[in-house]
Amino acid sequence: MIRFLLRRLGLAVPTLLGVSLVIFVTIRIVPGDPVASLLGPTGSPEARVELTHKLGLDQPIPVQYVTWLGRVGQGDLGRSIAKQTDALPYVWEAFRNTITLSLFAAAVAIVGGIALGVIAATRRGKVASAISSGVSLFAVSAPQYSVGLILIVYLAAGRGWFPTGGMRNTTGADAGTVADLIRHLWLPGLSAALVPLGIIARMVRSSMLDALSADFVEALRSRGLPEWKIRWHAFHNTLPSVLTIAGLQVGYLLGGVIFVEVVFSWPGLGLVVFQSISQRDLPVIQAGVLVSALAFVVINLIVDTLHGLLDPRIRR
Amino acid sequence: MTTLTTTSDADTDASPDSSPTDGDNTTTLRLRDLHTTFSSRGLTVHAVRGVDLDLHPGEITVLLGESGSGKSVTAKSIMRLYGANASFAGTVVLDGRGDLLAAGPKEMLSVRGPEIALIPQDPSAALDPLRRIGAQIVEVLRQHKAVPSRAAAKARALELLGQVGIPDPARVYRSFPHELSGGMRQRAVIAIAVSCDPRVLIADEPTTALDVTVQAQILALFRSLIDRMGSAVLLVTHDVGVAEEVGDRIGVMYAGRIVEYGPAAEVLGDPRHPYTRALLDSIPTPGVERGQLRSITGQPPVSGELPPGCAFAPRCPEAHDRCRAADPVLVDLPGRRLAACHLLTDDPDDTDTDTDTDSTAGPDSTAGPDSTGGPDSTATETSVETPAPAGEESAA
Amino acid sequence: MTATQLVGDDTAPTPTEPTAADVIPAPGDGSPSEATPKPALKRRRLGWPARIAGGVCVTFLLAALLAPLIAPYDPLADDRSNRLQPFFSGGHLLGTDGQGRDVLSRVIWGARPSILTGLIPVFVAGIIGTLLGLVAGLGSHRLNTVIMRTLDVFYAFPAVLLAIAIAAALGSGTSNAIIALSVILIPPIARLAESEVARIRSAAFMEAARVSGAGWWSIALRHVLPNAAPAIVVYCTALVGLSIVYAAGLGFLGLGVAPPTAEWGLMVNDLRQFTFSSPGISLVPAVVILIASVAFNVFGDGLRDLLDVKGDGR
Repeated sequence: MIRFLLRRLGLAVPTLLGVSLVIFVTIRIVPGDPVASLLGPTGSPEARVELTHKLGLDQPIPVQYVTWLGRVGQGDLGRSIAKQTDALPYVWEAFRNTITLSLFAAAVAIVGGIALGVIAATRRGKVASAISSGVSLFAVSAPQYSVGLILIVYLAAGRGWFPTGGMRNTTGADAGTVADLIRHLWLPGLSAALVPLGIIARMVRSSMLDALSADFVEALRSRGLPEWKIRWHAFHNTLPSVLTIAGLQVGYLLGGVIFVEVVFSWPGLGLVVFQSISQRDLPVIQAGVLVSALAFVVINLIVDTLHGLLDPRIRR
Repeated sequence: MTTLTTTSDADTDASPDSSPTDGDNTTTLRLRDLHTTFSSRGLTVHAVRGVDLDLHPGEITVLLGESGSGKSVTAKSIMRLYGANASFAGTVVLDGRGDLLAAGPKEMLSVRGPEIALIPQDPSAALDPLRRIGAQIVEVLRQHKAVPSRAAAKARALELLGQVGIPDPARVYRSFPHELSGGMRQRAVIAIAVSCDPRVLIADEPTTALDVTVQAQILALFRSLIDRMGSAVLLVTHDVGVAEEVGDRIGVMYAGRIVEYGPAAEVLGDPRHPYTRALLDSIPTPGVERGQLRSITGQPPVSGELPPGCAFAPRCPEAHDRCRAADPVLVDLPGRRLAACHLLTDDPDDTDTDTDTDSTAGPDSTAGPDSTGGPDSTATETSVETPAPAGEESAA
Repeated sequence: MTATQLVGDDTAPTPTEPTAADVIPAPGDGSPSEATPKPALKRRRLGWPARIAGGVCVTFLLAALLAPLIAPYDPLADDRSNRLQPFFSGGHLLGTDGQGRDVLSRVIWGARPSILTGLIPVFVAGIIGTLLGLVAGLGSHRLNTVIMRTLDVFYAFPAVLLAIAIAAALGSGTSNAIIALSVILIPPIARLAESEVARIRSAAFMEAARVSGAGWWSIALRHVLPNAAPAIVVYCTALVGLSIVYAAGLGFLGLGVAPPTAEWGLMVNDLRQFTFSSPGISLVPAVVILIASVAFNVFGDGLRDLLDVKGDGR
């Protein structure tokens, strides 16, 4: 198991390097001359050369990459142009709120998705199965912003059942009470959960059907086990693949709840990135993408490890 | 019925019923006019067309036949291991339990395992890949309350693993199926099957998926277990060698029917049905020249294409007009044997054969040794269909 | 179970002898409520949900194509005196927005950039992804490793975020949104193409083509591509819904077309300030995107089931 884990860790290194390279490239492809925009129209040629040298832009590209990577490694993700603060602490604070929202949404998606998928698989040919298959297909197709707005109109605005926004930090000194947090979590959580819920439900359905038609099911039946125990065996056999998909969804949520955060004014990474887009605050956007990608890689690592724990066959 | 106790009292402790007697008073399981039909989206396959069979304690009855002959379906129909697309007719009477085909789902749960156990074809597919071997044995023991406690279940599981010839039961107990060899897996599967001392054991091609050397070991283990436990065994195989090695009685199946039945030595030594002869001719025998090895010409009948008359007639080298006109019934032969072939009953008295032909046109065309005249057969001559997947020219 | 299995062929004996039980796979216990196995013959027709969805897709495409003919008003003409009119008022079927523009006309005109920004990336990514898949699948082992590992890096990003990062770096605009979406759609398509090519490469006729001395391009274009194309096309169809949602998402974030152009995502963001005052109107573009997304997904899904193509659930 330890060796399995170490190998997975080893495999994550090139992925991380690739991620950093992609982000570096997105920094470099920004149109326009960063030196000119920093100096303004009045900059003298000498100041220009000096600043170019100071920013390291006179170095060859690979050297620039390594320098940038070194700074990133020390937690220096540049400064926010709009806020005039270091990008990383700013982004990290917002990211903690995103984690709260994502985990809540993931919990809803996993519980709901498994329930829906199991119903679709075990009630085959019945109304319940058709409905749950339809619901999962609908869920997969539902954009966060559409669902969020519909929920706001029908459940929050005018009715006041749920708040439409006004969420403060979920962690730290200015955090509200847990009850307040949960009240604020419901609608954005549901909006964010819908797509992963649909994906998980469809995955559960197909792997449950696979498991139920596996030969060992007949063997279990021949041993006089009741149907619910047989289904439990089949369900257990779906867990490794379901876990992989569910883990991926948590990762997507961490980087993908941006629309929900915008619609519900949830003070997370997505909202920060959204605001930075209109302010052309590229360092913050890049820091946000880097943090999300990092979290995504970490989650994939955790998922791989859990997969190894759940399925003895791949643990080598 | 004797129970498995310890390994020390091994093979010498033969059960009182272990001698292959023929008395019907010791019948554990009795099949009468069993029919199994599958229907799926308008496609109907009449897989078993009226099988009569008696299983006796301590005795291994072999169902021998080609692919699609209905032998596996017969075996699994006994345990009703099919879904809603299968329908059954006839009776399957388990000694003391009544007709299993009429039993409710709850009752079947208590039959499967403690009364009738199955050893499936592929040991690697018969185990839950994500559970340790020990847990899978304990689960069955606990389900049927064969042991008083969890600790007792573990002790019993280890004991069972030892009895099926696993050298280090403790390690295998903790192993996952993929960590074991095919032979070890099959031993574990056998341990699960015998864990609740079943009165009937059904083995569906138990050695087909194994290496030849392992096959021999498993068959030897099987034989010794049966001798000790006194279970009645139905062994399904397409392998004449397996039938020869462990079979006490043999039923040869073709197109969903038993065409020849009798003590193993006699059926294999002196086959009376042309199909049995063809089957035996198609396997290589040491010392026989290659040229004499023959394959059966043609293929088993395909679903919906069952010929009129004897199902084997189109492939039978000795078929004549009557074979193509009327389906033969099983008739008693000397030496407590049965065979269904016109060649065995044909005698020059024409009027006699004519009435025989007429009688077989009816729906119930089978008559076993002790036919109880079960429920109306679903086999009418027009709708009779037989299954036939990928046909094999030779059964070996 | 396929038809050929039912007919039966007399090939060599197999070690595990198939029996009638294998031909009629029948999971389920004795209770009659149990599941029936797979249908004997797979239906080769689109189901009714997919056909209805296909109809809706065609309607959207026609609306985009015929926008100048069918839109009742100029989508850009504002009329401050006529702000936020309710549904069905004064000839405005779907009311008017905050600047008094006819919402229905904006939805119809908005179909053009919205669907184009969704469709073009699928085309572009489909071509590039297929090419990458062909090269990776037919090239040397090393080339395959380089291409596939590079694509793996893109899997380390949440797709939406990567699109946002690229679009933000390039600056807002339709073409940049299209580039960003194409980049994130290439990896899954290339993966599918590569696995299809690998499958085809092992087929017997490929050996024949190689032995007959056909060149790389000839093999790729004459033998591999035609066989891989159906699966890739179907997979791409299934991606259109997703792509439309992402495109509208970029528009919503201000990374697509510039106002006042009518575009669904931009309209969602523009109208959401009226969720309290005019909830119905504020939902119109959101619901339109939802309908388009569901329609394209159900249709793509139907096609996928029909041809039994699998992709990765991204």
